[in-house]
Amino acid sequence: MDTSREDVGITIRSALLAKGTKQKFSLFALVILSIILISIETIEAKPLNYFRSFIKDTIYRGSLIVSVPFKTIDNFTDYVGDHLNLYSNYSKLKKENDELKNNISKSDFLELENTQLRQLIQEQVASTTDLVSARVMIDKQSPYLNSFIINTGSNKNLKNGMAVLDGNNFVGRIVDVNFFSSRVLLVSDLNSKIPVIVEPSGDHAILSGNGTNEPILEYLPENHNTQDGNKVYTSGKEGIFSPGIPIGEIKIENNIITTSLFSDLSQITFINIKIGK
Amino acid sequence: MALTYKTIKFKFFELLPLFLLFFISLNGSSVIDLKFFSINIHYILVYYWVLRQPQSLGYGFIFLSGIISDVVFGFPLGVNALSLLIIAAVAAYVRVVTVRITLINDWISFIPALLIANFVYFLSLYFSNHAVDYLYLFNNSIFTFIFYPILWGLFSLIINLMKS
Repeated sequence: MDTSREDVGITIRSALLAKGTKQKFSLFALVILSIILISIETIEAKPLNYFRSFIKDTIYRGSLIVSVPFKTIDNFTDYVGDHLNLYSNYSKLKKENDELKNNISKSDFLELENTQLRQLIQEQVASTTDLVSARVMIDKQSPYLNSFIINTGSNKNLKNGMAVLDGNNFVGRIVDVNFFSSRVLLVSDLNSKIPVIVEPSGDHAILSGNGTNEPILEYLPENHNTQDGNKVYTSGKEGIFSPGIPIGEIKIENNIITTSLFSDLSQITFINIKIGK
Repeated sequence: MALTYKTIKFKFFELLPLFLLFFISLNGSSVIDLKFFSINIHYILVYYWVLRQPQSLGYGFIFLSGIISDVVFGFPLGVNALSLLIIAAVAAYVRVVTVRITLINDWISFIPALLIANFVYFLSLYFSNHAVDYLYLFNNSIFTFIFYPILWGLFSLIINLMKS
C-alpha cells in the first residue's frame, strides 16, 4: 500500500517538477506563475497597469497581423461571390432603378428635407464635443465574452465604464483601457448589466446580456406596463452613463421580456465613445 | 542534399505544433464555435503533443499561448494559461504511467484532463467575477472529447510524416 502511494508520489513529482528534455521550465513553476498572475489581475497599481497595457497592446497588434490572411480570404470570397452573382445583381439593380425612376418625383422634397437634416446633424455634431470616434480593430467573437477591441486607448483619455455608441445607439461600455487600444464589452455579454428606462411606460429595469443579440430585461417593477414595441434607453441611474441613450425595442415572447437592439452588433466598424459622463 | 531535405522536413513538422499553438491563440480560433457545438482545439493540441512528443511543445510556450488567448478573449491574465498547464500536467502524468500509447488510452485519459482543466477554468473565472455560461462549457467539453480522435489521427499523421 505504502509502496503504491510512493509510486504515485514519484510519478506526480516526475510529471510536474521534472523539466524533461528541451523544457526550460517545470510545469509546477508555471502553474504557480499563472496563479500569481490571476491573483494580481485585480490589483490596481500604476507599474502593473503599464505592464498589462504593454502586453495587451503588443498581443493585439500580433493578433491583427495574424488575422490578415483570413481577412484577405474573406474579401477574396466576397469578390468572387460578387462576380458569380453578377447577373442576379444586374437584374436586381435594374428593378431598383425602375422603382427609383418612379419615385423621382419625390426627390425634390427629399432633397430639401435632407439638407435640413444635414444642417441639424452638423449642429449636433458641433455641439457634442464629448464624443471620441474609434475603429474596431479586432472583432474575435469569443464564445465566452462578447466584446471587441478598438484602436483608441488612454492616448485619447478613454476610461473604464465609458459608454460606447454605434451612431447614436448604445452598444456597450469600455472595460479595459491600454495605451493604444481598449476593450468594449457589448451589451449582449453575460457580464453586461445596464440600468435602463422603458418609454413610454417609464419603468426602470436592468438590461442583462445573455450571450445573444437580444438581452433580457430584468428587475422590472411588479406592476409594470411594459409592452411590445416600447423603447429602451439608458436611465443614467447611479451616474454610470448619460440618461436617454437609445438601446433597443421591447420584444415580449412567452412572457420573457427581451430587447431587440437598434444596432447590429456583428456589423459595427466605427464607434463613438462618450467621454463625458 | 537528401539529408538536408530530410532535416528541413523534420524541422518543419517538429515546429508545426508550436506554430499551430501560437496561430490559434493569436487568431482567437482556439475554440471553434459552430451553430450547435463548439470544440476546444487548444486543449486537444496541448494534450496530444505533451503526451506523444513533449519535446515539440515546451511548457513555457504553452503558458505563453495561454496568456495570448487570455488577452485576445479578454480574460484575466493567467486563466487560459492555467487551464492549459493543467491539461499538460495530466498529459505528462499519463505519459509517465502508460507504457503503450493507443487512441483508446489517450481518449479515456483525456476525460480527467478535460474535467480538471474546465473546473480550474471555471474557478478562475468565478473568482475573477466573470460570468460563465455553464451549459456552454459543458457542451464544449463533451464535443471536445468527441472530436479528439479526429485530431488524434491528424496529429499522428504529422508524427509519421516527421519520422518518415
